[in-house]
Amino acid sequence: MAVLSGNLFVDLLHRELRNRLVNAATGWLWLIVTPLLLLSVYGLVFGVIFQARVPAGLDMPFVAWLAVALWPWLAFSDGVLRGSLAIQQNAALISKVAVPRPLLTLSAQSAAFLLQMIGYLVVLVTLLALGVPLSLRSLPFVLLVLFSLYLFSVGLALLLSAVQVFVRDLEQLLPTLFMFWFFLTPILYAPEILPGDVGRWLLLNPMTWWMEEIRAGLFHGKWLPDLTLFALLAGSLFTVWIGYRVFERLSPHFEDFL
Amino acid sequence: MSELLLALSGVRKTYPPTVHSTQRFRAFLQILARGRSAGGSTVLQDIDFEVRRGESLALIGANGAGKSTLLKIITGVLAPSDGSVERHGSQAALLELGAGFDPEYTGLENLRLNAALLGLSRREVDEKLDDILAFADIGASIHEPVKHYSSGMVVRLGFAIVASVSPDLLITDEILAVGDESFQKKCIRWIENYLNRGGTLLMVSHNMYQVQKLCRHALWLDGGKPRAMGDVFDVTQSYLAWHERKDARESGHATAHAGAEGYSVQAMHIVSGQDGEPALDMGEDLTVRLSLRSPDGRAPVALVGIVRADGTPVYGVASDHDGVVLRQADDGDYVAEICFRDLPLLPGGYVLRGHAMDPEGLRLFDTVEVNFTVKGRSRELGLIRLRHDWRV
Repeated sequence: MAVLSGNLFVDLLHRELRNRLVNAATGWLWLIVTPLLLLSVYGLVFGVIFQARVPAGLDMPFVAWLAVALWPWLAFSDGVLRGSLAIQQNAALISKVAVPRPLLTLSAQSAAFLLQMIGYLVVLVTLLALGVPLSLRSLPFVLLVLFSLYLFSVGLALLLSAVQVFVRDLEQLLPTLFMFWFFLTPILYAPEILPGDVGRWLLLNPMTWWMEEIRAGLFHGKWLPDLTLFALLAGSLFTVWIGYRVFERLSPHFEDFL
Repeated sequence: MSELLLALSGVRKTYPPTVHSTQRFRAFLQILARGRSAGGSTVLQDIDFEVRRGESLALIGANGAGKSTLLKIITGVLAPSDGSVERHGSQAALLELGAGFDPEYTGLENLRLNAALLGLSRREVDEKLDDILAFADIGASIHEPVKHYSSGMVVRLGFAIVASVSPDLLITDEILAVGDESFQKKCIRWIENYLNRGGTLLMVSHNMYQVQKLCRHALWLDGGKPRAMGDVFDVTQSYLAWHERKDARESGHATAHAGAEGYSVQAMHIVSGQDGEPALDMGEDLTVRLSLRSPDGRAPVALVGIVRADGTPVYGVASDHDGVVLRQADDGDYVAEICFRDLPLLPGGYVLRGHAMDPEGLRLFDTVEVNFTVKGRSRELGLIRLRHDWRV
């Protein structure tokens, strides 16, 4: 059964990727061009117009500091948002064929996450080529952090895609909530620049921890897994468990409400 | 007993109210808290049956009887509100035209995804690809998006994929009707082959001939409840008889002029061993006992006829045709028995009509009807069996 699901997952993921890159010939090109364009837009806005400065002790353009955290966020939020729509979008399939439903959410979420990760790779290679000092020794550590972020995104996508079948308003609500979440996460700014205790409050936001870990890895050479990483892994596994439990609870009733 | 492939027990399906978003939200909370939602309309109940290897089952019933819902529950697309569904062995379903096909993708991509849904690995698909394409026989269109396909091509491709899997239990809704004549024959041939190899079929069909040919058991659903279950011939015959009676009722053919003044039928019944609606085997003797009343002491003429349940006359005969005069019994009524030997009626539902006529045999006074069923395992067509023999 596991083999079967593996096969099916690959097929579904393939289908999702094809969906996103409608034409294979030029689609893969955009995969590289889009992140570069986005990178130069952010470079223009924050480097030239706002003249934003990186936190003390680092010597690099602001856009590099921003990009290192921005793409993981994009992967996370894109994964959750697209994954949360997967059940509703596959209503025709679900109401006619017995398909392992978690795989539908998982493949939509994974495809979105994967595509943003390819963009991240393009961005990191570009930054290295531009001479931004990134710690390569930390790559395994950063990959683990990203993996835990992927799991967190899986858990939320499972939960939200199931709830979305019943509460349709989520489709309208989620993008706004995620925008709010984006600004409450230190991606565009460092927590230290906030006045008083506000920076401490940001620690209540789990995304703060992921962003700090990724920057600590790539900029400060942190490469040894510590308690924070295990906490993140444990937390995201717990989210997957909760998401899956809720999904399985609601899933027998999907067809009635789709 | 052969191996169990499918067992349903106490299955019930209720669709919750989903019109308003508050209803949806309430249902959502109920499901989260208790695993089920309250209220709604019941579309299926009291479904209990099992399917064993080699014992094909047909689901029959009028439109809206719940057949498609039941199929969805069997395939696992829909979860029952109550009861349990047990599945063993592999299962493949052809439910609706183009179910599981994404119109934007090419036939080949859909083929791969559907084969994966049926449990084939990529390597197995590659191995079987030529066979599938040959069976579907849609040529270069396999590289076109499915949205450009005709409905016949969609069915061809869908059937070809299922045929390549050769599941333990094949579930089909009435979809083969879409393909053209030669493809339908190909499918029927394949299904017969599959059944001969020990395959098992669970089908929904309105074509009773096909049902009798391919299945051993039948389940008749009426208003979401099982009305009859058992041998395919018994169930399909009572189902058809029920339809014919319904048609006759609706078109107002029933001719019951009860309580007429004058000559009347006091009683008419079929002489048989059992209680309830009389049922005979084909070729048995049908004996009818009549009791007529006369207001003026003259012996009335009895007319006895047999009509098909939908009102089509089969045969009628009056006592004066044969020069018979009814005997007066002790209580003053006129009685007679008529026996139809070696009943040649084909299996189905029939109505026996007894009429009282005046002694001249000119005017019809009273009509009494009795329903009866002829049982048998015959696929002959028409109303009666004509004596025949083949010479080759």
